Amino acid sequence: MANESVLVIGGGVAGVSSALKLAENGFQVYLVERGPIIGGQAAVFCCKATETCSQCSVCLVPEKILEVAANSQISLVVNSEVVGISGGIGDFKVDLLQKPGFVDPEKCIACGICTELCPCEPQKGIYLPFPETAPRTYIIDKNQCLRFKGAECNVCQDNCPAGAIDFEQKPKELEVSAVIVATGFEVFDAREKGLLGYGRYSNVLTGLDLERIFATGDSVTLPSSGECPRNIAFIQCVGSRDEYIGNGYCSQVCCKYAMRFAKLLQYQNPEAKVTIFYIDLQTAGKGFGEFYKECKETIRFVRGIPVEVCKLSPNELEVKYEDLTKGKITKESYDLVVLSVGTAPRKDSWDLARVLGINLGDYGFFDTQDTLDSSRTNVNGIFLAGTCQGPRDIPESIAHGIQAASKVIQTLTARAI
Amino acid sequence: MDNGLKLGVFLCDCGGTLSKVTDFSAIKAKLQKLSDVTYVGISHDLCLKRAQQAMQKDIKDKGINRVVVAACSPELHENDFMNVVQSAGVNRHLLSMANIREQCFWAHPDKGKAAKKAMTQIGMAINRARFLEPVEQTQISVNKDVLVIGGGITGIQAAIELSNLNLKTTLVEKEATLGGKLNRFANLYPVQVSPEEVLATKLKQVAESQNIYVLTSAELIDVSGEVGNFSARIKRGNGEFVRNFGAIIFATGYTTQFSSQIYGLELSNNIITQSQLEEMLKSSSEVKQIPKSVCFVTDISDEHSRVSPLSALRNALGIKEKFRGEVCVLCQNLKVDGAGLEKLYRDCRNKGVLFIKFDNSPRISKQDGKIKIEVEDVLMSGEQVTLPCDLLVVEETSVPPLDSKVLGSTLYMGLDAQGFYQENNVHLYPTASNREGIFFAGNCHADLDLMQALTDASNVALSAYQLLAQGKIAVEAEKVMVDPNKCRFCLTCIRACPHHAIQEAKVNHEKMVAQIADLACQGCGICAVVCPAKAIKPKDWSDEQILAEFELLGEYV
Ligand SMILES: Cc1cc2nc3c(=O)[nH]c(=O)nc-3n(C[C@H](O)[C@H](O)[C@H](O)COP(=O)(O)OP(=O)(O)OC[C@H]3O[C@@H](n4cnc5c(N)ncnc54)[C@H](O)[C@@H]3O)c2cc1C
Ligand SMILES: Cc1cc2nc3c(=O)[nH]c(=O)nc-3n(C[C@H](O)[C@H](O)[C@H](O)COP(=O)(O)OP(=O)(O)OC[C@H]3O[C@@H](n4cnc5c(N)ncnc54)[C@H](O)[C@@H]3O)c2cc1C
Ligand code: SF4
Ligand code: SF4
Repeated sequence: MANESVLVIGGGVAGVSSALKLAENGFQVYLVERGPIIGGQAAVFCCKATETCSQCSVCLVPEKILEVAANSQISLVVNSEVVGISGGIGDFKVDLLQKPGFVDPEKCIACGICTELCPCEPQKGIYLPFPETAPRTYIIDKNQCLRFKGAECNVCQDNCPAGAIDFEQKPKELEVSAVIVATGFEVFDAREKGLLGYGRYSNVLTGLDLERIFATGDSVTLPSSGECPRNIAFIQCVGSRDEYIGNGYCSQVCCKYAMRFAKLLQYQNPEAKVTIFYIDLQTAGKGFGEFYKECKETIRFVRGIPVEVCKLSPNELEVKYEDLTKGKITKESYDLVVLSVGTAPRKDSWDLARVLGINLGDYGFFDTQDTLDSSRTNVNGIFLAGTCQGPRDIPESIAHGIQAASKVIQTLTARAI
Repeated sequence: MDNGLKLGVFLCDCGGTLSKVTDFSAIKAKLQKLSDVTYVGISHDLCLKRAQQAMQKDIKDKGINRVVVAACSPELHENDFMNVVQSAGVNRHLLSMANIREQCFWAHPDKGKAAKKAMTQIGMAINRARFLEPVEQTQISVNKDVLVIGGGITGIQAAIELSNLNLKTTLVEKEATLGGKLNRFANLYPVQVSPEEVLATKLKQVAESQNIYVLTSAELIDVSGEVGNFSARIKRGNGEFVRNFGAIIFATGYTTQFSSQIYGLELSNNIITQSQLEEMLKSSSEVKQIPKSVCFVTDISDEHSRVSPLSALRNALGIKEKFRGEVCVLCQNLKVDGAGLEKLYRDCRNKGVLFIKFDNSPRISKQDGKIKIEVEDVLMSGEQVTLPCDLLVVEETSVPPLDSKVLGSTLYMGLDAQGFYQENNVHLYPTASNREGIFFAGNCHADLDLMQALTDASNVALSAYQLLAQGKIAVEAEKVMVDPNKCRFCLTCIRACPHHAIQEAKVNHEKMVAQIADLACQGCGICAVVCPAKAIKPKDWSDEQILAEFELLGEYV
């Protein structure tokens, strides 16, 4: 069993946790990630601490990424996807399609010269997405880089002291004993809920937008005017608990992140008024009760989900909802509306399901074969980890990743006897 | 200065970016003047393999015995550099780092001042390097057997998974049968198998395993020793015996408690708890009179529990399907943030279960044996609703088993505010305790549903496997050590150590001193700070090293 290798597909926090546990127990791990760096969705999220830690767990992600970077048993295969698989448990043969990544992670020393010299303004065409990337490499942003807009810019390539910027890379084939699928989730696209105004009104943001704004260290301002928001509404369950759009499940993270953001916004501006519109507040979990109690002191909680958001003036939005205490449709004005978007299954899960021959279950998450084992698929030797199997927060994704690693080791141990 | 030291200083200018703003050759020239500095090298990319190979060669060739690296943050590559130092035949702890990139050139816009600060930091790292001490790596052999306390589903699953991993387990259950709470449930959700079937499958696996030794009607009395070599005193019947284990897993679950104050009511034949209902449904023969209207009140005594609303939903649906009649669930916020719960909620509504949400607790009274519930239904504009009800099912709170407190204190394990076991770090190591080699799984440390408890079992089994599978554990010997000559045995450190890593020991058959167990020590340094006799030294951060660093601090400030 020693020296056997395992393929982990998806470098989010779940896949990373599986990879680390397998590597720590002596396995060779190929961590295949479609994007240029690992970390997944939560890698670009923000710390939600005010004066005290709000236990959002986001800080666990960079910590895990650094551990992967330091672990020589894990080979990172970035910019790659699995396009074929044959064989079975003990000897899977996996075909990978690797897209050119332009910056060679093996050579990049993360000195930052390229970003400094890149002529794109204000957003650079090459940068380090966040401080704790693994591989520790700068990446080219195709939406910004002039080369992808037809220009013949070569500034970064010519000036890179390590000669790391390069356009040629080759396809790969791997041989592995087992596979863990940890391809994660998609954040629900709030545009699908057209009446709530996302994408039409600049002052309607999503939870994901807030994550990104806070993660850059900035404070949140009104996109329309640049002013500090004073009256903010959060609308819960956008894209969750909604059978009509096919998402008849609770996303399990949005109530908690909304309350943490609300506190953070009030920490930034103690004058700010925050209202949270909800169906049921999900406050279960160790230690969260205390936090909820604090929230009740400064945040207004309103039962009921608004049906529509309209624009009154550039800086004023109108939220229309049914006031349950009066039984009447009520209108209130806010300067910022945040939609608490949740976890949706990846639309491309279907492609991977077909390549690997594994089943999709309720709502489009991967299905488990054994009702008592949420990591087991219908194919012996292929396991599931994290949010690709169903909604989870970060600590639960980590635990699920470790569970998948544990099942792999157990299955391979049984084969070895 | 001839102290036998040969310092090698490796400067990295990060791809030339740093040498653009300061003169590295001047730094090099300055450092070369120090008499114990044997070698100063400048690299552009010390983080890459190629440069590290060159570094290793330089250390070997020049006979360097203390290494100083001035580069980026130690967070990023310190471990790599330690590996380089080790592969060059020098103890890996004889490395000291200066962060001249993030802390100097990247932090300060005035590059002149940044360069001065960098010079000071390099000087400090050199001063510290002079006092570094080697820490030897050794291996301690360990007992590979695992003790699991608590034979509920979590303990059973942990034992099965450990057995799959070829580790021998002793499963200690205080009741006469295994299975814990699952023995009492009529059905389960979202698991589509009955609790009997779940237990039957699992118990068959336990019986078939060569690796699991089950002890029912037995209890753990006491544990001594430390990770890799615990000895546990176990009581069974009138007998008591001692066995040795490498790791201990607690899976002692929870008990439930009904608090009559919250409702202002006592239990009776038509006011029952969720557990009583479970038992009633399990043996439906007991249901003599089929209730026409059943009400559940949940999310009231513990607003932040997921399992009690889960039980209410599951049984509301069960009763509706079995007995028809009116079924109503009263709650503040329905907890649906678990696998399949929203679907269960929808199924309940489709089958006609009524849900009433309240902000103010319902008033429940009893007249002539009949129950009357008055509640303001917030979904109906706060309208006052009066519900007649034949059977009221009230919620219980999960509380730790009675003996948790005793076991917690005899084993020096922390408890949380409610008395459940406290994880070492709620986020990072949800199954590790404050003591190395002791783990928690299942409902003895958090409010979990079955699938989450099973995930816990997998996690904990892998943790124990990783710790013990090799039969030996690599440790850094005496990274924190007590000087027996200075120790006055005042016990301060023993009380202060959060990991219970310090024990008493006798030296030369006479003097009692404190002794640190390398396997259990986490290197936090707390003991060194509190020791009034200054008898304890963390080798990586000794007073000499820190004072030597301070000598140069004034130059910058
Ligand atoms: C707005 C928002 C806020 C949140 N805030 C919090 C919070 O504060 N605290 C918290 O605990 N949780 C929070 N969460 C939940 C958290 O994001 C998830 O629990 C976590 O990111 C799940 O990790 P994962 O590894 O399962 O998936 P992901 O993070 O989605 O990672 C999956 C990875 O797999 C890669 N991948 C996908 N398909 C393929 C393929 N075919 N081949 C190769 N690679 C592939 C992806 O590129 C990605 O890197 C939040 C979620 C949302 C939507
Ligand atoms: C009313 C109710 C309904 C529920 N319904 C569901 C459901 O439908 N679906 C679901 O997924 N989950 C449900 N749950 C949650 C589920 O019960 C738990 O997740 C699961 O039982 C936890 O198992 P455990 O092994 O950790 O604890 P337990 O089942 O409590 O087992 C602990 C075992 O340890 C033993 N023990 C305790 N102390 C000692 C000691 N000192 N020495 C030796 N042995 C000891 C006990 O005797 C017991 O056998 C429900 C919970 C409640 C309260
Ligand atoms: S966590 Fe809250 S906001 Fe998110 S889907 Fe569940 S109930 Fe709705
Ligand atoms: S360093 Fe910390 S863990 Fe180690 S013995 Fe001292 S107090 Fe205990």
